[in-house]
Amino acid sequence: MPGPRPRSIRRYRSLYLLFLPVALYFILFSYYPFAKGIAMSFQGNRLIGPKPFVGLANYREVLADPDFLRAVLNSLVIGLADLALYFSLSLFLALCIAELGSRLARRAVQTFAYLPYLFSWSVIAGVWILVFDQRGIVNAIGGLLGAEPTFFLAEPGLARPLIIGMGVWRSVGYFALLFTVAITDIDPVLYEAARIDGASRLRQIASVTLPSLRPTMKVVILLLVMGVLTHFDEMFVMQNPANRTRIATLLVYVFDMGIVKFKTGFATAGATVVMAGTLILAGLARKALRYDEA
Amino acid sequence: MRPDRLPLAARALVWAVALLAILVMGLPMANVLAVSLSSPGSSESPGLVLFPAEPSLEGYAFVWGTIDLWRPFLNTLYVSAAGTLLHAILAALGGYVLAQPELPGRKALTSFVLLTMTIPAELTLVSIYAVNKQFHLVNRYAGLILNGAASGFSILLMRGYFSAIPRSLSEAARIDGCPEPGIFWRIFLRLAKPGLATVATLELIRRWNNIAMTVTLVSDMAKTTLPVVLRWLLFEMSTASGAAYVYANAKMAAVVISALPLVALYAFAQRFFVAGALAGSVKG
Repeated sequence: MPGPRPRSIRRYRSLYLLFLPVALYFILFSYYPFAKGIAMSFQGNRLIGPKPFVGLANYREVLADPDFLRAVLNSLVIGLADLALYFSLSLFLALCIAELGSRLARRAVQTFAYLPYLFSWSVIAGVWILVFDQRGIVNAIGGLLGAEPTFFLAEPGLARPLIIGMGVWRSVGYFALLFTVAITDIDPVLYEAARIDGASRLRQIASVTLPSLRPTMKVVILLLVMGVLTHFDEMFVMQNPANRTRIATLLVYVFDMGIVKFKTGFATAGATVVMAGTLILAGLARKALRYDEA
Repeated sequence: MRPDRLPLAARALVWAVALLAILVMGLPMANVLAVSLSSPGSSESPGLVLFPAEPSLEGYAFVWGTIDLWRPFLNTLYVSAAGTLLHAILAALGGYVLAQPELPGRKALTSFVLLTMTIPAELTLVSIYAVNKQFHLVNRYAGLILNGAASGFSILLMRGYFSAIPRSLSEAARIDGCPEPGIFWRIFLRLAKPGLATVATLELIRRWNNIAMTVTLVSDMAKTTLPVVLRWLLFEMSTASGAAYVYANAKMAAVVISALPLVALYAFAQRFFVAGALAGSVKG
Protein backbone atom coordinates (compact mmCIF):
# COMPACT_ATOMS: atom_id res chain seq x y z
CA MET A 1 0.00 0.00 0.00
CA PRO A 2 1.45 3.40 -0.96
CA GLY A 3 1.92 6.03 1.74
CA PRO A 4 -0.63 8.81 2.15
CA ARG A 5 -0.56 11.25 -0.73
CA PRO A 6 -0.88 15.02 -0.21
CA ARG A 7 -4.49 14.92 -1.34
CA SER A 8 -5.47 12.34 1.27
CA ILE A 9 -3.62 14.23 4.00
CA ARG A 10 -5.69 17.27 3.12
CA ARG A 11 -8.73 15.08 3.20
CA TYR A 12 -7.95 13.70 6.64
CA ARG A 13 -7.37 17.21 7.93
CA SER A 14 -10.84 18.24 6.82
CA LEU A 15 -12.28 15.12 8.46
CA TYR A 16 -10.61 15.90 11.79
CA LEU A 17 -11.97 19.42 11.45
CA LEU A 18 -15.47 18.01 10.96
CA PHE A 19 -15.05 15.97 14.13
CA LEU A 20 -13.91 18.97 16.18
CA PRO A 21 -17.38 20.19 17.32
CA VAL A 22 -18.25 16.68 18.48
CA ALA A 23 -14.98 16.34 20.40
CA LEU A 24 -15.42 19.77 21.97
CA TYR A 25 -18.94 18.95 23.04
CA PHE A 26 -17.97 15.70 24.72
CA ILE A 27 -14.97 17.23 26.45
CA LEU A 28 -16.91 20.21 27.81
CA PHE A 29 -20.29 18.64 28.56
CA SER A 30 -19.50 15.01 29.25
CA TYR A 31 -15.92 14.29 30.36
CA TYR A 32 -15.41 17.56 32.20
CA PRO A 33 -18.59 17.34 34.35
CA PHE A 34 -17.80 13.69 35.02
CA ALA A 35 -14.27 14.49 36.24
CA LYS A 36 -15.49 17.55 38.09
CA GLY A 37 -18.16 15.48 39.83
CA ILE A 38 -15.56 13.02 41.10
CA ALA A 39 -13.33 15.88 42.23
CA MET A 40 -16.23 17.64 43.98
CA SER A 41 -17.05 14.47 45.89
CA PHE A 42 -13.73 14.83 47.72
CA GLN A 43 -14.27 18.51 48.46
CA GLY A 44 -16.32 20.57 50.89
CA ASN A 45 -19.88 21.65 50.16
CA ARG A 46 -19.44 24.77 48.11
CA LEU A 47 -20.60 25.50 44.61
CA ILE A 48 -18.27 28.39 43.82
CA GLY A 49 -15.05 29.65 45.33
CA PRO A 50 -12.18 27.60 46.75
CA LYS A 51 -13.21 24.22 48.08
CA PRO A 52 -11.23 22.47 50.79
CA PHE A 53 -10.15 18.89 50.21
CA VAL A 54 -11.94 16.68 52.71
CA GLY A 55 -10.89 13.20 51.65
CA LEU A 56 -13.54 10.53 52.08
CA ALA A 57 -15.58 12.53 54.59
CA ASN A 58 -18.46 13.07 52.14
CA TYR A 59 -18.62 9.36 51.34
CA ARG A 60 -18.63 8.43 55.02
CA GLU A 61 -21.40 10.93 55.73
CA VAL A 62 -23.52 9.89 52.75
CA LEU A 63 -23.25 6.19 53.49
CA ALA A 64 -24.29 6.85 57.11
CA ASP A 65 -27.22 9.10 56.15
CA PRO A 66 -30.53 7.32 56.84
CA ASP A 67 -32.13 9.26 53.96
CA PHE A 68 -29.52 7.87 51.59
CA LEU A 69 -30.08 4.33 52.80
CA ARG A 70 -33.82 4.78 52.40
CA ALA A 71 -33.19 6.06 48.87
CA VAL A 72 -31.19 2.91 48.13
CA LEU A 73 -34.10 0.80 49.34
CA ASN A 74 -36.65 2.83 47.33
CA SER A 75 -34.51 2.63 44.20
CA LEU A 76 -34.07 -1.12 44.49
CA VAL A 77 -37.72 -1.86 45.25
CA ILE A 78 -39.10 0.35 42.49
CA GLY A 79 -36.31 -0.36 40.02
CA LEU A 80 -36.46 -4.13 40.36
CA ALA A 81 -40.27 -4.20 40.28
CA ASP A 82 -40.16 -2.10 37.10
CA LEU A 83 -37.56 -4.45 35.62
CA ALA A 84 -39.59 -7.58 36.35
CA LEU A 85 -42.95 -6.14 35.26
CA TYR A 86 -41.77 -4.27 32.13
CA PHE A 87 -39.99 -7.39 30.92
CA SER A 88 -42.61 -10.04 31.64
CA LEU A 89 -45.70 -8.00 30.70
CA SER A 90 -44.23 -6.65 27.45
CA LEU A 91 -43.06 -10.11 26.40
CA PHE A 92 -46.49 -11.55 27.21
CA LEU A 93 -48.24 -8.74 25.35
CA ALA A 94 -45.99 -9.21 22.29
CA LEU A 95 -46.69 -12.97 22.25
CA CYS A 96 -50.42 -12.25 22.41
CA ILE A 97 -50.21 -9.61 19.67
CA ALA A 98 -48.40 -12.10 17.43
CA GLU A 99 -51.21 -14.62 17.84
CA LEU A 100 -54.00 -12.20 16.90
CA GLY A 101 -55.45 -13.41 13.62
CA SER A 102 -56.31 -9.96 12.31
CA ARG A 103 -53.72 -7.49 11.04
CA LEU A 104 -55.96 -4.59 12.01
CA ALA A 105 -56.26 -5.85 15.59
CA ARG A 106 -52.48 -6.30 15.81
CA ARG A 107 -51.90 -2.72 14.70
CA ALA A 108 -54.57 -1.30 16.98
CA VAL A 109 -53.21 -2.99 20.11
CA GLN A 110 -49.64 -2.09 19.21
CA THR A 111 -50.47 1.58 18.58
CA PHE A 112 -52.58 2.05 21.72
CA ALA A 113 -49.96 0.35 23.86
CA TYR A 114 -47.09 2.39 22.39
CA LEU A 115 -48.69 5.85 22.62
CA PRO A 116 -48.04 6.50 26.35
CA TYR A 117 -44.33 6.12 25.67
CA LEU A 118 -44.54 9.47 23.86
CA PHE A 119 -45.85 11.24 26.97
CA SER A 120 -43.74 13.11 29.47
CA TRP A 121 -44.03 11.99 33.08
CA SER A 122 -46.05 15.11 33.82
CA VAL A 123 -48.59 14.06 31.20
CA ILE A 124 -48.68 10.54 32.65
CA ALA A 125 -49.19 12.06 36.10
CA GLY A 126 -52.10 14.14 34.75
CA VAL A 127 -53.74 11.04 33.28
CA TRP A 128 -53.33 9.09 36.51
CA ILE A 129 -54.59 11.91 38.70
CA LEU A 130 -57.82 11.83 36.73
CA VAL A 131 -58.13 8.06 36.64
CA PHE A 132 -57.29 7.48 40.31
CA ASP A 133 -59.13 10.52 41.65
CA GLN A 134 -61.81 9.98 44.28
CA ARG A 135 -64.33 10.60 41.50
CA GLY A 136 -62.28 8.84 38.82
CA ILE A 137 -62.75 5.69 36.74
CA VAL A 138 -61.01 3.34 39.14
CA ASN A 139 -63.23 4.31 42.05
CA ALA A 140 -66.27 4.12 39.78
CA ILE A 141 -65.38 0.54 38.81
CA GLY A 142 -64.57 -0.23 42.44
CA GLY A 143 -67.96 1.18 43.42
CA LEU A 144 -69.70 -1.19 41.00
CA LEU A 145 -67.91 -4.04 42.75
CA GLY A 146 -68.98 -2.71 46.11
CA ALA A 147 -65.66 -1.20 47.25
CA GLU A 148 -65.41 1.96 49.32
CA PRO A 149 -64.02 4.96 47.40
CA THR A 150 -60.30 5.39 48.05
CA PHE A 151 -58.19 8.47 47.50
CA PHE A 152 -55.33 6.48 46.00
CA LEU A 153 -52.94 9.38 45.52
CA ALA A 154 -53.04 10.38 49.19
CA GLU A 155 -52.45 6.86 50.50
CA PRO A 156 -48.75 6.61 51.43
CA GLY A 157 -48.90 2.82 51.33
CA LEU A 158 -49.94 2.98 47.68
CA ALA A 159 -47.26 5.44 46.59
CA ARG A 160 -44.84 2.79 45.32
CA PRO A 161 -47.40 0.56 43.59
CA LEU A 162 -48.87 3.61 41.86
CA ILE A 163 -45.51 4.79 40.56
CA ILE A 164 -44.65 1.29 39.38
CA GLY A 165 -48.06 1.07 37.71
CA MET A 166 -47.50 4.38 35.93
CA GLY A 167 -44.20 3.09 34.60
CA VAL A 168 -45.83 -0.09 33.35
CA TRP A 169 -48.59 1.90 31.66
CA ARG A 170 -46.02 4.10 29.97
CA SER A 171 -43.39 1.56 28.93
CA VAL A 172 -44.95 -1.85 28.29
CA GLY A 173 -46.03 -0.93 24.76
CA TYR A 174 -42.55 0.27 23.86
CA PHE A 175 -40.81 -2.91 24.95
CA ALA A 176 -43.61 -4.99 23.43
CA LEU A 177 -42.85 -3.22 20.14
CA LEU A 178 -39.22 -4.39 20.35
CA PHE A 179 -40.37 -7.97 20.91
CA THR A 180 -43.05 -7.74 18.21
CA VAL A 181 -40.56 -6.70 15.57
CA ALA A 182 -38.18 -9.46 16.64
CA ILE A 183 -41.02 -11.99 16.33
CA THR A 184 -41.82 -10.74 12.80
CA ASP A 185 -38.16 -11.29 11.90
CA ILE A 186 -38.19 -14.97 12.84
CA ASP A 187 -37.59 -17.15 9.79
CA PRO A 188 -40.90 -18.87 8.82
CA VAL A 189 -38.88 -21.94 7.86
CA LEU A 190 -38.38 -22.63 11.57
CA TYR A 191 -42.14 -22.81 12.13
CA GLU A 192 -42.52 -24.95 9.01
CA ALA A 193 -39.97 -27.43 10.36
CA ALA A 194 -41.66 -27.51 13.77
CA ARG A 195 -45.00 -28.16 12.11
CA ILE A 196 -43.62 -31.03 10.06
CA ASP A 197 -42.35 -32.48 13.33
CA GLY A 198 -45.96 -32.32 14.55
CA ALA A 199 -45.52 -29.46 17.03
CA SER A 200 -48.74 -27.79 18.18
CA ARG A 201 -49.06 -23.99 18.04
CA LEU A 202 -48.31 -23.70 21.76
CA ARG A 203 -45.32 -25.96 21.35
CA GLN A 204 -44.10 -23.75 18.47
CA ILE A 205 -44.25 -20.68 20.72
CA ALA A 206 -42.26 -22.50 23.38
CA SER A 207 -39.61 -24.01 21.12
CA VAL A 208 -39.36 -21.57 18.19
CA THR A 209 -40.61 -18.11 19.19
CA LEU A 210 -39.16 -17.86 22.69
CA PRO A 211 -35.66 -19.20 21.84
CA SER A 212 -35.51 -16.87 18.81
CA LEU A 213 -36.27 -13.91 21.06
CA ARG A 214 -33.29 -14.56 23.29
CA PRO A 215 -31.04 -11.79 21.87
CA THR A 216 -33.85 -9.23 22.21
CA MET A 217 -34.55 -10.40 25.75
CA LYS A 218 -30.91 -9.88 26.64
CA VAL A 219 -30.90 -6.34 25.28
CA VAL A 220 -34.15 -5.45 27.04
CA ILE A 221 -32.95 -6.85 30.36
CA LEU A 222 -29.62 -5.04 30.12
CA LEU A 223 -31.37 -1.75 29.25
CA LEU A 224 -33.68 -2.20 32.23
CA VAL A 225 -30.86 -3.16 34.60
CA MET A 226 -28.93 -0.04 33.69
CA GLY A 227 -32.07 1.96 34.49
CA VAL A 228 -32.71 0.40 37.92
CA LEU A 229 -30.83 3.05 39.89
CA THR A 230 -31.47 6.01 37.58
CA HIS A 231 -35.21 6.59 37.92
CA PHE A 232 -35.84 10.27 38.48
CA ASP A 233 -38.55 11.97 36.45
CA GLU A 234 -41.53 9.99 37.74
CA MET A 235 -40.53 10.52 41.37
CA PHE A 236 -39.74 14.16 40.81
CA VAL A 237 -43.18 14.68 39.28
CA MET A 238 -45.18 12.65 41.80
CA GLN A 239 -43.40 13.57 45.03
CA ASN A 240 -45.27 15.32 47.82
CA PRO A 241 -44.66 15.52 51.58
CA ALA A 242 -46.91 12.52 52.22
CA ASN A 243 -45.29 10.03 49.82
CA ARG A 244 -41.70 11.32 49.72
CA THR A 245 -40.16 8.81 52.08
CA ARG A 246 -41.54 5.92 49.99
CA ILE A 247 -40.59 7.07 46.52
CA ALA A 248 -37.52 9.30 46.92
CA THR A 249 -34.95 7.35 44.91
CA LEU A 250 -31.20 7.84 44.77
CA LEU A 251 -31.33 10.43 42.03
CA VAL A 252 -34.03 12.38 43.85
CA TYR A 253 -31.74 12.32 46.91
CA VAL A 254 -28.78 13.51 44.84
CA PHE A 255 -30.87 16.25 43.21
CA ASP A 256 -32.20 17.50 46.56
CA MET A 257 -28.78 17.55 48.14
CA GLY A 258 -26.94 19.13 45.24
CA ILE A 259 -29.36 21.37 43.35
CA VAL A 260 -31.85 22.29 46.07
CA LYS A 261 -29.65 22.39 49.20
CA PHE A 262 -26.30 23.11 47.50
CA LYS A 263 -24.50 20.42 49.51
CA THR A 264 -22.47 19.64 46.43
CA GLY A 265 -19.74 17.49 47.94
CA PHE A 266 -22.30 15.33 49.58
CA ALA A 267 -24.44 15.05 46.47
CA THR A 268 -21.58 14.22 44.11
CA ALA A 269 -20.34 11.57 46.54
CA GLY A 270 -23.84 10.07 46.44
CA ALA A 271 -23.88 10.26 42.64
CA THR A 272 -20.50 8.57 42.41
CA VAL A 273 -21.75 5.73 44.60
CA VAL A 274 -24.80 5.35 42.34
CA MET A 275 -22.60 5.34 39.27
CA ALA A 276 -20.42 2.62 40.75
CA GLY A 277 -23.56 0.70 41.69
CA THR A 278 -24.90 0.93 38.15
CA LEU A 279 -21.61 -0.26 36.67
CA ILE A 280 -21.55 -3.21 39.06
CA LEU A 281 -25.19 -4.11 38.34
CA ALA A 282 -24.62 -3.87 34.59
CA GLY A 283 -21.46 -5.98 34.88
CA LEU A 284 -23.27 -8.64 36.89
CA ALA A 285 -26.17 -8.64 34.43
CA ARG A 286 -23.84 -9.01 31.44
CA LYS A 287 -22.23 -11.96 33.14
CA ALA A 288 -25.49 -13.58 34.21
CA LEU A 289 -26.97 -13.13 30.73
CA ARG A 290 -23.74 -14.22 29.02
CA TYR A 291 -24.34 -11.04 27.07
CA ASP A 292 -21.01 -11.00 25.34
CA GLU A 293 -21.32 -14.55 24.06
CA ALA A 294 -23.54 -15.00 21.03
CA MET B 1 -49.30 -18.37 6.85
CA ARG B 2 -49.78 -20.69 9.82
CA PRO B 3 -52.90 -22.81 9.44
CA ASP B 4 -52.40 -24.55 12.79
CA ARG B 5 -54.20 -22.72 15.56
CA LEU B 6 -54.06 -22.28 19.29
CA PRO B 7 -56.56 -24.18 21.42
CA LEU B 8 -59.80 -22.28 21.96
CA ALA B 9 -59.00 -21.28 25.55
CA ALA B 10 -55.65 -19.83 24.54
CA ARG B 11 -57.23 -17.96 21.64
CA ALA B 12 -59.83 -16.51 24.01
CA LEU B 13 -57.02 -15.44 26.35
CA VAL B 14 -55.12 -13.73 23.52
CA TRP B 15 -58.16 -11.72 22.46
CA ALA B 16 -59.00 -10.90 26.06
CA VAL B 17 -55.47 -9.55 26.58
CA ALA B 18 -55.72 -7.51 23.37
CA LEU B 19 -59.05 -6.02 24.42
CA LEU B 20 -57.79 -5.32 27.93
CA ALA B 21 -54.68 -3.60 26.55
CA ILE B 22 -56.76 -1.33 24.33
CA LEU B 23 -59.13 -0.47 27.20
CA VAL B 24 -56.40 0.12 29.78
CA MET B 25 -54.48 2.38 27.40
CA GLY B 26 -57.40 3.96 25.52
CA LEU B 27 -59.98 4.65 28.22
CA PRO B 28 -57.78 6.96 30.33
CA MET B 29 -56.75 8.89 27.19
CA ALA B 30 -60.37 9.26 26.07
CA ASN B 31 -61.28 10.29 29.61
CA VAL B 32 -58.62 13.01 29.66
CA LEU B 33 -59.72 14.35 26.28
CA ALA B 34 -63.42 14.40 27.25
CA VAL B 35 -62.78 16.14 30.58
CA SER B 36 -60.57 18.75 28.88
CA LEU B 37 -63.50 19.59 26.60
CA SER B 38 -66.03 19.91 29.44
CA SER B 39 -67.26 23.01 31.23
CA PRO B 40 -65.51 23.72 34.56
CA GLY B 41 -68.40 22.48 36.66
CA SER B 42 -69.19 19.35 34.68
CA SER B 43 -65.50 18.43 34.41
CA GLU B 44 -65.51 17.47 38.08
CA SER B 45 -68.47 15.11 37.88
CA PRO B 46 -67.64 11.59 39.02
CA GLY B 47 -67.13 8.42 37.01
CA LEU B 48 -65.97 7.58 33.56
CA VAL B 49 -66.54 10.51 31.20
CA LEU B 50 -66.00 9.63 27.57
CA PHE B 51 -68.08 12.44 26.08
CA PRO B 52 -68.27 15.92 27.60
CA ALA B 53 -71.68 16.45 29.21
CA GLU B 54 -71.44 20.21 28.66
CA PRO B 55 -68.96 20.70 25.81
CA SER B 56 -66.79 23.77 26.28
CA LEU B 57 -63.36 25.10 25.40
CA GLU B 58 -63.09 27.05 28.64
CA GLY B 59 -60.35 24.76 29.95
CA TYR B 60 -58.16 25.53 26.92
CA ALA B 61 -58.95 29.24 27.11
CA PHE B 62 -58.04 29.24 30.80
CA VAL B 63 -54.63 27.54 30.50
CA TRP B 64 -53.71 29.36 27.30
CA GLY B 65 -54.90 32.81 28.44
CA THR B 66 -54.96 33.04 32.24
CA ILE B 67 -52.06 30.66 32.91
CA ASP B 68 -50.07 31.78 29.83
CA LEU B 69 -49.31 28.21 28.84
CA TRP B 70 -48.27 29.48 25.42
CA ARG B 71 -45.05 30.71 26.99
CA PRO B 72 -43.72 27.31 28.18
CA PHE B 73 -45.16 25.86 24.98
CA LEU B 74 -43.06 28.19 22.82
CA ASN B 75 -40.04 27.68 25.12
CA THR B 76 -40.35 23.93 24.68
CA LEU B 77 -40.83 24.26 20.94
CA TYR B 78 -37.77 26.49 20.66
CA VAL B 79 -35.33 24.49 22.77
CA SER B 80 -36.58 21.19 21.34
CA ALA B 81 -36.35 22.29 17.72
CA ALA B 82 -33.00 24.07 18.04
CA GLY B 83 -31.56 21.30 20.22
CA THR B 84 -32.74 18.59 17.84
CA LEU B 85 -31.27 20.39 14.83
CA LEU B 86 -27.92 20.77 16.56
CA HIS B 87 -28.03 17.17 17.74
CA ALA B 88 -28.74 15.89 14.22
CA ILE B 89 -25.89 17.97 12.77
CA LEU B 90 -23.36 16.70 15.31
CA ALA B 91 -24.59 13.12 14.91
CA ALA B 92 -24.10 13.40 11.13
CA LEU B 93 -20.61 14.94 11.46
CA GLY B 94 -19.43 12.45 14.07
CA GLY B 95 -20.99 9.48 12.32
CA TYR B 96 -19.48 10.49 8.97
CA VAL B 97 -15.97 10.83 10.34
CA LEU B 98 -16.15 7.53 12.23
CA ALA B 99 -17.43 5.82 9.07
CA GLN B 100 -14.17 6.53 7.18
CA PRO B 101 -12.42 3.16 7.27
CA GLU B 102 -8.90 4.40 6.51
CA LEU B 103 -8.87 7.48 8.74
CA PRO B 104 -5.81 7.34 11.05
CA GLY B 105 -6.90 7.32 14.70
CA ARG B 106 -10.42 6.17 13.89
CA LYS B 107 -10.32 3.52 16.62
CA ALA B 108 -9.28 6.03 19.28
CA LEU B 109 -12.00 8.46 18.21
CA THR B 110 -14.58 5.67 18.34
CA SER B 111 -13.54 4.75 21.89
CA PHE B 112 -13.66 8.43 22.82
CA VAL B 113 -17.30 8.49 21.70
CA LEU B 114 -18.20 5.07 23.13
CA LEU B 115 -16.84 5.96 26.55
CA THR B 116 -19.27 8.87 26.90
CA MET B 117 -22.12 6.37 26.70
CA THR B 118 -21.03 4.83 30.00
CA ILE B 119 -21.48 8.21 31.75
CA PRO B 120 -25.24 8.64 32.19
CA ALA B 121 -26.07 12.35 32.26
CA GLU B 122 -28.64 11.73 34.99
CA LEU B 123 -25.87 10.69 37.33
CA THR B 124 -23.83 13.82 36.82
CA LEU B 125 -26.64 16.37 37.25
CA VAL B 126 -24.94 18.16 40.13
CA SER B 127 -21.62 18.60 38.36
CA ILE B 128 -23.43 19.43 35.12
CA TYR B 129 -25.09 22.24 37.04
CA ALA B 130 -21.72 23.40 38.37
CA VAL B 131 -20.12 23.29 34.91
CA ASN B 132 -23.01 25.15 33.29
CA LYS B 133 -22.87 27.75 36.04
CA GLN B 134 -19.21 28.21 35.15
CA PHE B 135 -20.10 28.62 31.44
CA HIS B 136 -22.93 31.08 32.32
CA LEU B 137 -25.52 28.73 30.83
CA VAL B 138 -27.80 28.41 33.86
CA ASN B 139 -31.30 29.82 33.39
CA ARG B 140 -30.68 30.36 29.69
CA TYR B 141 -32.18 28.71 26.64
CA ALA B 142 -28.66 28.17 25.32
CA GLY B 143 -27.96 25.88 28.27
CA LEU B 144 -30.96 23.70 27.50
CA ILE B 145 -30.03 23.60 23.81
CA LEU B 146 -26.32 22.89 24.25
CA ASN B 147 -26.58 20.18 26.87
CA GLY B 148 -27.41 17.03 24.94
CA ALA B 149 -26.16 18.47 21.63
CA ALA B 150 -24.41 15.19 20.90
CA SER B 151 -24.79 11.61 22.04
CA GLY B 152 -22.67 8.56 21.42
CA PHE B 153 -25.81 6.63 20.58
CA SER B 154 -26.85 8.97 17.74
CA ILE B 155 -23.32 9.21 16.36
CA LEU B 156 -22.97 5.43 16.21
CA LEU B 157 -26.40 5.16 14.63
CA MET B 158 -25.37 7.59 11.88
CA ARG B 159 -22.05 5.80 11.45
CA GLY B 160 -24.05 2.67 10.72
CA TYR B 161 -26.11 4.44 8.05
CA PHE B 162 -23.04 6.04 6.43
CA SER B 163 -21.09 2.77 6.43
CA ALA B 164 -23.87 1.13 4.44
CA ILE B 165 -23.43 3.59 1.56
CA PRO B 166 -21.29 2.05 -1.22
CA ARG B 167 -17.82 3.58 -1.28
CA SER B 168 -17.73 3.52 -5.06
CA LEU B 169 -20.09 6.50 -5.06
CA SER B 170 -17.76 8.75 -3.08
CA GLU B 171 -14.69 7.46 -4.97
CA ALA B 172 -16.30 8.36 -8.28
CA ALA B 173 -17.19 11.84 -7.04
CA ARG B 174 -13.67 12.34 -5.74
CA ILE B 175 -12.18 11.38 -9.11
CA ASP B 176 -14.53 13.87 -10.74
CA GLY B 177 -12.98 16.52 -8.47
CA CYS B 178 -15.92 17.03 -6.13
CA PRO B 179 -14.61 18.70 -2.92
CA GLU B 180 -14.92 16.86 0.40
CA PRO B 181 -17.71 18.99 1.88
CA GLY B 182 -19.66 18.44 -1.33
CA ILE B 183 -19.22 14.68 -1.07
CA PHE B 184 -20.47 14.76 2.50
CA TRP B 185 -23.40 17.03 1.72
CA ARG B 186 -24.54 15.82 -1.69
CA ILE B 187 -23.89 12.11 -1.44
CA PHE B 188 -23.70 10.90 2.13
CA LEU B 189 -26.18 13.16 3.84
CA ARG B 190 -28.71 12.76 1.08
CA LEU B 191 -28.51 8.96 1.17
CA ALA B 192 -28.56 8.79 4.97
CA LYS B 193 -31.74 10.87 5.27
CA PRO B 194 -33.80 8.09 6.92
CA GLY B 195 -31.08 7.70 9.55
CA LEU B 196 -31.05 11.42 10.16
CA ALA B 197 -34.84 11.46 10.49
CA THR B 198 -34.66 8.60 13.00
CA VAL B 199 -32.02 10.36 15.09
CA ALA B 200 -33.99 13.61 14.99
CA THR B 201 -37.26 11.91 15.96
CA LEU B 202 -35.68 10.21 18.98
CA GLU B 203 -34.05 13.44 20.08
CA LEU B 204 -37.23 15.45 19.63
CA ILE B 205 -39.17 13.05 21.89
CA ARG B 206 -36.40 13.14 24.47
CA ARG B 207 -36.23 16.92 24.48
CA TRP B 208 -39.96 17.61 24.38
CA ASN B 209 -40.46 15.42 27.47
CA ASN B 210 -37.24 16.18 29.32
CA ILE B 211 -37.59 17.00 32.99
CA ALA B 212 -34.33 16.18 34.79
CA MET B 213 -32.06 18.44 32.73
CA THR B 214 -34.61 21.26 32.65
CA VAL B 215 -35.14 21.43 36.40
CA THR B 216 -31.39 21.21 36.91
CA LEU B 217 -30.48 24.09 34.61
CA VAL B 218 -33.54 26.34 34.76
CA SER B 219 -35.28 27.64 37.86
CA ASP B 220 -36.81 30.70 36.17
CA MET B 221 -40.45 29.81 35.52
CA ALA B 222 -40.54 32.19 32.54
CA LYS B 223 -37.86 30.14 30.76
CA THR B 224 -38.87 26.64 31.70
CA THR B 225 -40.63 24.01 29.60
CA LEU B 226 -44.07 22.41 29.40
CA PRO B 227 -43.51 19.30 31.54
CA VAL B 228 -42.27 21.44 34.43
CA VAL B 229 -45.15 23.94 34.18
CA LEU B 230 -47.64 21.11 33.75
CA ARG B 231 -46.41 19.50 36.96
CA TRP B 232 -46.82 22.79 38.79
CA LEU B 233 -50.30 23.27 37.36
CA LEU B 234 -51.37 19.75 38.33
CA PHE B 235 -49.98 19.62 41.83
CA GLU B 236 -49.00 22.98 43.18
CA MET B 237 -51.03 25.77 41.71
CA SER B 238 -54.23 24.90 43.60
CA THR B 239 -52.39 24.75 46.90
CA ALA B 240 -50.43 27.97 46.35
CA SER B 241 -51.92 30.76 48.43
CA GLY B 242 -53.98 33.27 46.52
CA ALA B 243 -54.01 31.23 43.33
CA ALA B 244 -57.27 30.55 41.56
CA TYR B 245 -58.79 27.10 41.90
CA VAL B 246 -57.89 25.07 38.82
CA TYR B 247 -60.75 22.94 37.56
CA ALA B 248 -60.15 19.49 36.13
CA ASN B 249 -61.03 20.69 32.63
CA ALA B 250 -58.13 23.18 32.69
CA LYS B 251 -55.67 20.63 34.09
CA MET B 252 -56.64 18.12 31.42
CA ALA B 253 -56.49 20.76 28.70
CA ALA B 254 -52.87 21.38 29.69
CA VAL B 255 -52.24 17.62 29.58
CA VAL B 256 -53.67 17.42 26.06
CA ILE B 257 -51.66 20.44 24.88
CA SER B 258 -48.47 18.83 26.23
CA ALA B 259 -49.09 15.43 24.69
CA LEU B 260 -50.70 16.30 21.37
CA PRO B 261 -47.68 17.53 19.33
CA LEU B 262 -45.77 14.23 19.62
CA VAL B 263 -48.91 12.17 19.03
CA ALA B 264 -49.62 14.20 15.89
CA LEU B 265 -46.04 13.78 14.74
CA TYR B 266 -46.30 10.05 15.40
CA ALA B 267 -49.32 9.86 13.09
CA PHE B 268 -47.22 11.27 10.23
CA ALA B 269 -43.78 9.85 10.91
CA GLN B 270 -44.57 6.50 12.49
CA ARG B 271 -41.81 4.65 10.66
CA PHE B 272 -39.09 6.84 12.15
CA PHE B 273 -40.46 6.26 15.64
CA VAL B 274 -40.36 2.51 15.04
CA ALA B 275 -36.88 2.68 13.51
CA GLY B 276 -35.71 4.68 16.51
CA ALA B 277 -37.13 2.16 18.94
CA LEU B 278 -35.39 -0.65 17.08
CA ALA B 279 -32.07 1.15 16.94
CA GLY B 280 -32.08 1.01 20.71
CA SER B 281 -32.65 -2.71 20.84
CA VAL B 282 -29.94 -3.99 18.53
CA LYS B 283 -27.46 -6.04 20.50
CA GLY B 284 -24.05 -4.45 20.12
